[in-house]
Amino acid sequence: MIAGGAGAAALAGATAAAARPGHETFQHGVASGDPLPRAVVLWTRVTPTAAATPGSGVGPRVTVAWEVATDRRFRDVVRRGSVRTGPAGDHTVKVDATRLRPDTAYFYRFTCRGETSPVGRTRTAPARTATPTGLRFGVVSCANLQAGWFSAYRHLARRDDLHAVIHLGDYLYEYAPGEYGYGRANTDIRPHVPAREMVSLADYRQRHAQYKSDPDLRALHARHPFIVTWDDHEVTNDAWRDGAENHQPAEGDYAARRAAAHRAYDEWMPVRMSGTAATGDGTRLFRTLRFGALAELSMLDLRTYRDQQAGTPAPSPVPSPTGGTDGTITGRAQLDWLKRRLRRGGPQWKLVGNPVMIAPVTFAQLPHDLVDPVNDVTGLLPRDGAPYNVDQWDGYTADRRELFDHIRDQGLHDVVFLTGDIHSGWACDLPYDASTYPLGDSAGVELVCTSVTSNNLKDITGTPPRTSSLAVEAVIQTNNRHVKYLDFDSHGYSVLDVTPERVQMDWYVIGDRADRRAGSSWTASWATRSGTNKVHAVSTPVGGA
Amino acid sequence: MCDSPRDSRASGAFERGRHEIRTGRRTLLTAGAAGIAISTATSGLPRAAAAASAGTRRRAYVLVLDGCRPDEISPTLMPRTSALRDGGLHHPRATSLPVMETIPSHVMMMSGVRPDRSGVPANSILDRTTGEVRDMDRPEDIRVRTIIERLNRNGLTTGTVLSKEYLYGIFGGRATHRWEPAPIVPVSGHAPDASTMEATLAMVEEHDPHLVFVNLGDIDRMGHSDLTGPLGVRAARQAALAATDLQVGRFVDLLKSSGRWQTSLLVVLADHSMDWSLPHQLIHLTPVLEADPLLAGHVTIADNGGADLLYWTGDPALLDAAVTRMRALTSAVPGVLAAHDPRVTPALRTGPLGGDVIVYARAGWRFSDPDQWSNPIPGNHGHPATMPIPFFLAGGHRRVPRGVTSSRRAATIDVAPTLADFFGVGAPRGGYDGRSRLP
Repeated sequence: MIAGGAGAAALAGATAAAARPGHETFQHGVASGDPLPRAVVLWTRVTPTAAATPGSGVGPRVTVAWEVATDRRFRDVVRRGSVRTGPAGDHTVKVDATRLRPDTAYFYRFTCRGETSPVGRTRTAPARTATPTGLRFGVVSCANLQAGWFSAYRHLARRDDLHAVIHLGDYLYEYAPGEYGYGRANTDIRPHVPAREMVSLADYRQRHAQYKSDPDLRALHARHPFIVTWDDHEVTNDAWRDGAENHQPAEGDYAARRAAAHRAYDEWMPVRMSGTAATGDGTRLFRTLRFGALAELSMLDLRTYRDQQAGTPAPSPVPSPTGGTDGTITGRAQLDWLKRRLRRGGPQWKLVGNPVMIAPVTFAQLPHDLVDPVNDVTGLLPRDGAPYNVDQWDGYTADRRELFDHIRDQGLHDVVFLTGDIHSGWACDLPYDASTYPLGDSAGVELVCTSVTSNNLKDITGTPPRTSSLAVEAVIQTNNRHVKYLDFDSHGYSVLDVTPERVQMDWYVIGDRADRRAGSSWTASWATRSGTNKVHAVSTPVGGA
Repeated sequence: MCDSPRDSRASGAFERGRHEIRTGRRTLLTAGAAGIAISTATSGLPRAAAAASAGTRRRAYVLVLDGCRPDEISPTLMPRTSALRDGGLHHPRATSLPVMETIPSHVMMMSGVRPDRSGVPANSILDRTTGEVRDMDRPEDIRVRTIIERLNRNGLTTGTVLSKEYLYGIFGGRATHRWEPAPIVPVSGHAPDASTMEATLAMVEEHDPHLVFVNLGDIDRMGHSDLTGPLGVRAARQAALAATDLQVGRFVDLLKSSGRWQTSLLVVLADHSMDWSLPHQLIHLTPVLEADPLLAGHVTIADNGGADLLYWTGDPALLDAAVTRMRALTSAVPGVLAAHDPRVTPALRTGPLGGDVIVYARAGWRFSDPDQWSNPIPGNHGHPATMPIPFFLAGGHRRVPRGVTSSRRAATIDVAPTLADFFGVGAPRGGYDGRSRLP
């Protein structure tokens, strides 16, 4: 576990430093990510001149120095170096700090033109052969800045017991002001910058910069390393391989738009794409991070290689698919890779960072008047069509069948899908045959964190929490016996605790998203005991509520 | 299907046992009020030179819950076993090793080495000396010294209480004290757990061996024959799990009431898991092989449940071509997961007796050769889906961790080195393939 006193002091120091004049060079904070046993990615963005704003493409090339130390005062600097950045990379800085010690907390900072960045804290992963007694992660998804304040991030940043934060996608949203905000009226608690749907490279860079200016997100980045993947909104809504629901022909070539989005993501996120911290050398986001013999986390990219969603009107000249669910959501190469990662000889817990739900869920029998609001939350429920969400794995059942068959054929246990996207909290078994479950076996479990701010069911129906949603939740659970926990009403974050005995997720909910000081409270915990492939309720969260 | 009883072979094992008794190499004793028949090998008794070792109060008991799946040990279904697991050192990543059948798994437990060293890769093999497919139920089939003999040579006493006839056969006269399974259930070829546990308790109370190796066969036998298994109901299986749990409880109660608990190590595990298939999910390899000009008439199949071992019996010079053809043809048969050449898949380590090609079934399928009526049994194992096993250390001895779960891998081959570590006896030449699970 991270030492409490030093960590808290470092965070306080970082916040204070950021607030002092003279730190304009580092307006977007610092971040770290993708921890390996001996390396971690360090990130910042410099603004060397007033004109060198994000997406501007102007400003001088500068040298940025970096340091990694074991103490927050940097008396014991263990690694240092410098890199050049400039307008071509939007003045972002990504460094892979190597030759570090496994399972160790470090402090890092940057200097540029005599100015020093806020101090960040990070932590390396345990050694490959280590047998950690525990790991703990924050788990988040779906943070729409227009829909409210990122209190979930602030509360996670205050925790001192996390090894990393897993972000499952929709880190930022593409919409223009007024298009997707808070509640039924789509009120903008904070309007997006730029004030238009992001389409160009400059748009994406500016939007990333706006999110990285949020104090809660900055605090969380400075406090814990991130392990990220994207879902659709990092490019645009309901993206697939050659298009998206929210991409119109007038917005230009979709491939060019996606390339711009991916480039900005590579520049602005502390992540190794195509295996390196260098930018521009590839956009492969699916990758594995190992935490000794205890766990391996495979992060998926379910947008870049997927076929078009079944039943979705084609937004481009690309022919619509047959309407069946035999298309791919992963792409052949990624599915083969994932099957290789899910193996008997690897670490015990096989965690999968999974942007959209994999549990089969039928929305049949929903009250007619609630179909539209549920559809708003969950995605693509046809009013008179197949009662399932075709944007999730339910729309790509051939891939899911192949993956589940692999798990079953190889006799694998302890596969845990960690999911976001659906703005609600779920805990599910993953039956091989949902029609007869609980007869028969389960391939693993799925734990779904809710949204940081993005609208959920109560927001769309305009009803108080735990009123109208209760009926929807009851109907869904009645028709899907493997869904053990469902909360359609809350926003917040989750904490995932991994031990050899079990994996447990705690759900925390925040107050009103419009309140920038909203509190946080624990609401539920579910766990899966090793070898069972099933979830069960737990009465208390880890580390105190 | 695994473990298929064959009367002639079973009686052969008993014949050998009787022969040993008649020739004076074993002494038949009765123990307990029920008149349990336990034979004792006079040659296996502690020698005077090893008296110091024999004086130890340490006891170790290996309980094999034959065919039990890890997820079946739950507080509701198996409360005593579950509590035993939770109070000791639990290895949730434990697996059986190829081929995941009863006989090789038990041999791996007691030898600590893989089949390419022990000589026992499967339940059923082609015996090339006779040209016949047979069960590996002969004492001489094990070609290495087991932990049983290693303990005996160190002056310690051992006991085997094995519910299945062919296990009784292959472990032969190795143990100091040996129970001859009875009464035998017709067709299944095993003794019920109630009888097996009765014999275990009697052996402990009457002879108190340092090591007792116990196989409880009911869970496996009820799993094989449970027609509700493919539907997920598993009615007979669940009844067996609950009943076997009571027997585990009886054993723990004896250790505690007799004062042995504090000096005891229990190793509780399964030899393999269990998978069920629907009647229509059958794999027939015979017609595929017989339709091929190269292979027709030159391939013998040894059926091992979810694994078929294929032996090339044609011109040895054509072995490579035959293996290539066998793999290509069988891989394409619906329900086949993979067809391996053990020579190029070193992880299998099945050795020369284990077939030229090993064909695995997918989960939910079973082999049935030569025709669809050959294997009517819904429950099977031997294929990778049946590798996960429960595995935990328990007991009151100070070396047994309390309430610990480990993320390290563990396997059947770890039993012998664990016992060797516990008793402080040596390893075989070349070392064990497994590792002690004691900290």
